[in-house]
Amino acid sequence: MNDMPRTAVARQDAPLVEPRAAPDLVPKIEIRRLRFFYKKFEALKNIDLTLYDKRVTAFIGPSGCGKSTLLRVLNRIYDLYPGQRAEGEVLLDGRNILEPGLDLNLLRAKVGMVFQKPTPFPMSIFDNVAFGIRLYEKLPASELADRVEQALRRAALWDEVKDKLRQSGLSLSGGQQQRLCIARAIAVKPSVLLLDEPASALDPISTQRIEELIAELKADYCIVIVTHNMQQAARSSDFTAFMYLGELIEFSDTETLFTHPREKRTEDYITGRFG
Amino acid sequence: MTDTVSSLDLSGTPRRRTFGDRLFKATAAGFAFLVLAILAAVILTLADGALPALREFGIGFVATEEWDPVLDEFGALAPIYGTLITSVIAMLVGIPVAFGIAVFITELCPTWLKRPIGVLIELLAAIPSIIYGIWGLFVLAPFLQRHVQPFLIDTVGTIPGIGALFRGPPLGIGIFTAGIILGIMVLPFIASITRDVFETVPPILKESAYGLGATTWEVVRSVVVPYTRVGIVGGVMLGLGRALGETMAVTFVVGNAHRIDTSLFAPGTTISAALANEFTEAVGDLYLSSLIALGFILFLITFAVLSLAKLMLLRLQQRAGT
Amino acid sequence: MSPLYWRRRATNAVVMTLALGATALGLVWLVLVLWTLVANGVAAITPSLFVESTPPPGSSGGLANAIYGSIVMTAAATLIGAPVGILAGTYLAEYGAGSRIAPVIRFVNDILLSAPSIIIGLFVYEVMVLKMGHFSAWAGATALAIIVVPVVVRTTEDMLNLVPTALREAAAALGAPKWRVIVFIAYRAAMQGMLTGVMLAFARIAGETAPLLFTALNNQFFSTDMNAPMANLPVVIFQFAMSPYVDWQSLAWGGALLITVAILILNIAARLFAAWGSFGR
Repeated sequence: MNDMPRTAVARQDAPLVEPRAAPDLVPKIEIRRLRFFYKKFEALKNIDLTLYDKRVTAFIGPSGCGKSTLLRVLNRIYDLYPGQRAEGEVLLDGRNILEPGLDLNLLRAKVGMVFQKPTPFPMSIFDNVAFGIRLYEKLPASELADRVEQALRRAALWDEVKDKLRQSGLSLSGGQQQRLCIARAIAVKPSVLLLDEPASALDPISTQRIEELIAELKADYCIVIVTHNMQQAARSSDFTAFMYLGELIEFSDTETLFTHPREKRTEDYITGRFG
Repeated sequence: MTDTVSSLDLSGTPRRRTFGDRLFKATAAGFAFLVLAILAAVILTLADGALPALREFGIGFVATEEWDPVLDEFGALAPIYGTLITSVIAMLVGIPVAFGIAVFITELCPTWLKRPIGVLIELLAAIPSIIYGIWGLFVLAPFLQRHVQPFLIDTVGTIPGIGALFRGPPLGIGIFTAGIILGIMVLPFIASITRDVFETVPPILKESAYGLGATTWEVVRSVVVPYTRVGIVGGVMLGLGRALGETMAVTFVVGNAHRIDTSLFAPGTTISAALANEFTEAVGDLYLSSLIALGFILFLITFAVLSLAKLMLLRLQQRAGT
Repeated sequence: MSPLYWRRRATNAVVMTLALGATALGLVWLVLVLWTLVANGVAAITPSLFVESTPPPGSSGGLANAIYGSIVMTAAATLIGAPVGILAGTYLAEYGAGSRIAPVIRFVNDILLSAPSIIIGLFVYEVMVLKMGHFSAWAGATALAIIVVPVVVRTTEDMLNLVPTALREAAAALGAPKWRVIVFIAYRAAMQGMLTGVMLAFARIAGETAPLLFTALNNQFFSTDMNAPMANLPVVIFQFAMSPYVDWQSLAWGGALLITVAILILNIAARLFAAWGSFGR
């Protein structure tokens, strides 16, 4: 961790959190009064939410509820497209990432992202992982190789690919490709990992491996995962945010949200009455 | 692994880092504008070169048939007429065949054969026009002269009125042959576009017609064609644009005579053929300027036709997109 | 069976037969043209065709100067036109969204794509040949390059549009600046299609005659001077085929066969290349 002067207490306006006995709870990202627009359409309405370091936070909700949109605000990937804009504040380590003039590329190097479908680049496995490293660091070949190995080990992929690093990333299976993408994201050494339905395109066994990986990785990162699979949210997250029609309906630790939801809509959703 | 990208400071000025981005975008944009600049330069240059002739002859330039380098008298009517009439013949030959090919490929052809036939048609389009020209001169023109033209002269030629188009000696070369060669040349273009356009019809639409017991032809006529009408017309216009500006295939067989004859069998000329034949030998500023004026007129005609074609295809695309 | 039904079926049969006939006719042209070329041209394909230059009427010779000129000018035109086209196509695909000028450029490019090539020759004559005072291989290459540009713009844009958005987002999410995303990810993914486009553009201009008539003109001697008129296959074929000399006509057929075979091979190769798996997979 680089800097975290702020006291490790949930903010008052992060209201719905049950203050569990967790002295190491450190806010990593604080979202305040966030609104998001696709042209005229308001896709996110006044979101207030705190995401904690070394914890997994899940965004759940029916499709179109804004959970992916919210995730895409956190590394400002939406900025690639004209007509999309965000208002409000998103503080990453205390700095507002929505302010103009911010270096988006640096932001994205700090906030890694893994997508719904695996997105291996059309190059070798090694180059896939090295791509992000080379963007910001000029390393001698041996150090670069170390970093790539480290990342692949961290993503639990090393043993499967160590003999074929020069093969194309596209030659791997779907589950392996997704772990390659995770390795690629963590190779840059971000502090936040955004996972956008990372297992929805995978078979059950690959899904399980990804979930195990998330559990391991949370020791080092602030992880945010969007999922439409409630079991997955329940299994792998510490906190859960339920969203509906662009609003944050309920946010609390995962156990509370799934066992004692305070909102009727939350209960309806997690019990499968709509969605 | 707990260290983050600590060496990277978010508050660092982004200026230097976005320099590469701005340079790349500016370069790409510059070359994109070059495309605009080329078109603008073509228009301006041709207009400028045509100016002396247009100033000398005024509107009469496009209304007189006279083309006399010795007396420095130039009128564009004959080549304009030749360009238009050969293109009309080309369309009459090309459209039905191209339409038939498109129907065959999209509706009749077994799937495994679709690609090979599609590729063969595209290869036909890849053959350079000079090959069509030499083939037209040595193979098609003698064939038409011996077998087709005498027959037409003896039959259609005897009908009053329309027969006037099919009279005179069967020379082989002339407007008629040029039109046929052009038709063969533009056929693969029109066929490819029509096929692409046919394939934009949603399968569900065709299936529901087949589901009612319609025959293949009925499906084509009452579902495919109405649905793609705009696109078909766009494709045909694109073919027409090609035919109007085509040079080499025509130059070989058109006969290169600056006159307008009622008979299609008579030799004539087109704008492009006149340019190809006379340009390098033209002596005198007015002669040269008149030829450039011809080119300018050709450009205006094809520009209009192609723009219209493009707009129609765009309309189809937009509809398919929504 | 009702008579109406029979009539409908009969109509269908007739129309479908016509469609089949049209297709057969289209393919027959291809065979006919190729057969004529082979029948008339194969006799001229001799070793001397490739080593001797174009002869004066009445004596024997070859097409070496024209073959050389065609290759040089086509290659130069591709080298000039392809980068221009690739960058302009990149602009349309990557920066075009939301831009007002991009649709205009796309439209103009499509017009240039089908514009009569003789007009391009006329244009280059005016701006280069007149200004320099003489015909030259550079002028010829320039005219051909102007024809290459719109073809490459079109294929580049189409191919870049096929690159999945997710791939671009994934690269951007690693902190890659946009130009790196384009050059190292999008180009890589679209490489095959873009190269196919360049190959097709090369094939297209290899047979172009009209734009060379007023630019490179012709040269009956072997010349490597890009600032002087240069022989090339299409113009030689044109002049020799229209001449009354049998020797010249025979050489024209040989050249026609040569150029057609080369272009068809290029086209087929480009298609095979486009269909062939992908790089390094």
